[in-house]
Amino acid sequence: MFKHVGIIGAGTMGSGIAQAVALSRIDVSLYDVNDTLLRQGVERIRGDMRRGIQKGKLTQEQMTEAVERIRLRSSLSDFGTCDLIIEAVIEDLRVKKDLFRHLEQSCKPTTILASNTSSLSISAIATGSSKRDRVIGLHFFNPANIMKLVEVVRGQQTSDVVLNSALDFVKHLGKTPVVVKDIPGFIVNRVARPFYGEALRILGENIATVEQIDSICKSIGGFPLGPFELMDLVGVDVNLMVTQSMYEQYGGEPRYRPHPIQKRMVDSGLLGKKTQHGFYAYEDKI
Amino acid sequence: MKTKKTQTAQEQSKHKTSQVHIIGESPMVEEYAELCASKGYRVTVAWNEPPATGQKTNSIRKSNVIPADTAVGIELTNIDLSQKRKNLEKLDKALPATAAILTSSVNVSATEQNSWVIMKHRLVGIAALPTFIEKQRVEVAPTVFSPAETLEVVRRFYSSLGKEIELVQDRVGMVLPRILCQIINESIFAVSDDIAIPKDIDTAMKLGANYPYGPVEWAERIGVNQVCAVLLALQKDLNEDRYRVAPLLKQMSIAGEWWKSQ
Repeated sequence: MFKHVGIIGAGTMGSGIAQAVALSRIDVSLYDVNDTLLRQGVERIRGDMRRGIQKGKLTQEQMTEAVERIRLRSSLSDFGTCDLIIEAVIEDLRVKKDLFRHLEQSCKPTTILASNTSSLSISAIATGSSKRDRVIGLHFFNPANIMKLVEVVRGQQTSDVVLNSALDFVKHLGKTPVVVKDIPGFIVNRVARPFYGEALRILGENIATVEQIDSICKSIGGFPLGPFELMDLVGVDVNLMVTQSMYEQYGGEPRYRPHPIQKRMVDSGLLGKKTQHGFYAYEDKI
Repeated sequence: MKTKKTQTAQEQSKHKTSQVHIIGESPMVEEYAELCASKGYRVTVAWNEPPATGQKTNSIRKSNVIPADTAVGIELTNIDLSQKRKNLEKLDKALPATAAILTSSVNVSATEQNSWVIMKHRLVGIAALPTFIEKQRVEVAPTVFSPAETLEVVRRFYSSLGKEIELVQDRVGMVLPRILCQIINESIFAVSDDIAIPKDIDTAMKLGANYPYGPVEWAERIGVNQVCAVLLALQKDLNEDRYRVAPLLKQMSIAGEWWKSQ
């Protein structure tokens, strides 16, 4: 099993993954291009773990050990001893390709390069590396320290050895891997599209209200959150971006066509919880 | 003044002698019949086709004659719509004017179904698919002919079964059937595209999106033929390519249970 894992990007996903890895007794090197974000990431990890202790899910000893395992890095050249490096940086193909090209110069020839991308092609990201067989997708779900699923995305040239090592690693974290082909949206983002798309159409056709659709999905469907609650939580703009990206990547497939309501909401600044107003109004904390 | 408790007791003793006649497809007929019988109703049923052997039907009395004192008639056909029309015409002739007719309006609107009957005031659409009645709430679609009195009868009937009703506009697919069947359709398109195996798609949706069931598993619970029928009805009603049925889903529906062992 891997002894040392590097995480690039200390945002919500990067810090969540770092926490999960450190808690599974693997050393972590954490890096972010922005020092403030790096410090905030570590604070987020500490805060999550403290809440874990309060809930009885974690002991103080486990937290101390995990925090000690996470080393903050100030340069990408500090990742030379990593067995696996997972990037969780901005969803920009050029940035990710450049990052892998850069990392390759300092890491071991056997190091596996993984991307946590949710929307880009792993095979396209792999073109940034000269060892494309060592590139793989490890798509964690937010919050990464809690959610059990990891989509393990096999690129066109990912080797069997790399795939099997990645599967073992995910299992070691106590999570469930599913092997996915490198296709836009992978499984979850693709199969979940109609949850939002149909709900928006039902709303647009005045068949039921936002509250009714959410309530029906929860009380009859058994979904933990309704589609509009979920769009508000994730961000109406983020949801539109994913839908738009799927629509384009699948050559204008009508099943993924965004709904005018989404664009109208985004244009009006009604982005969900983060703006205190989306499909629902939230308490103004200002 | 009557207390709420007294009213409830009276409602219970009243519906204990009430007659419900249920007609349509298995397993929805059995699901509704067993629930109604467990709440004290006298229940008679008629199937479009007899259910497979081995299913629990002990508490259900089969009767092709609709009892004259039926208070609530329930029509549960989603697939064979010409049979559905015959069933509704039969209920319309046999039931007293004061009875309510609840009819599944997932694949054909309650308004269209109302054009098949003479007494239009008593017909109300419901979202009926296998397993839906297990939940605490039911989607109900009134038509332009539904007076408040009929809706009150429907509300009281579901309340006596321990359910609340949610009134939605009368449109094919209603709310949950439309969303759910499109999720299932998408998952089968994903299987056809070889993105992952069905078991992994189910695991991913349960663990990655907290769905109560995986979509393939859900299709099995509802019935693949029922899911196909909803999608075909949506495609016909909305004339939109987005509701086209995944070819593999059609094959699963036609070929029966072969895919469960794959």
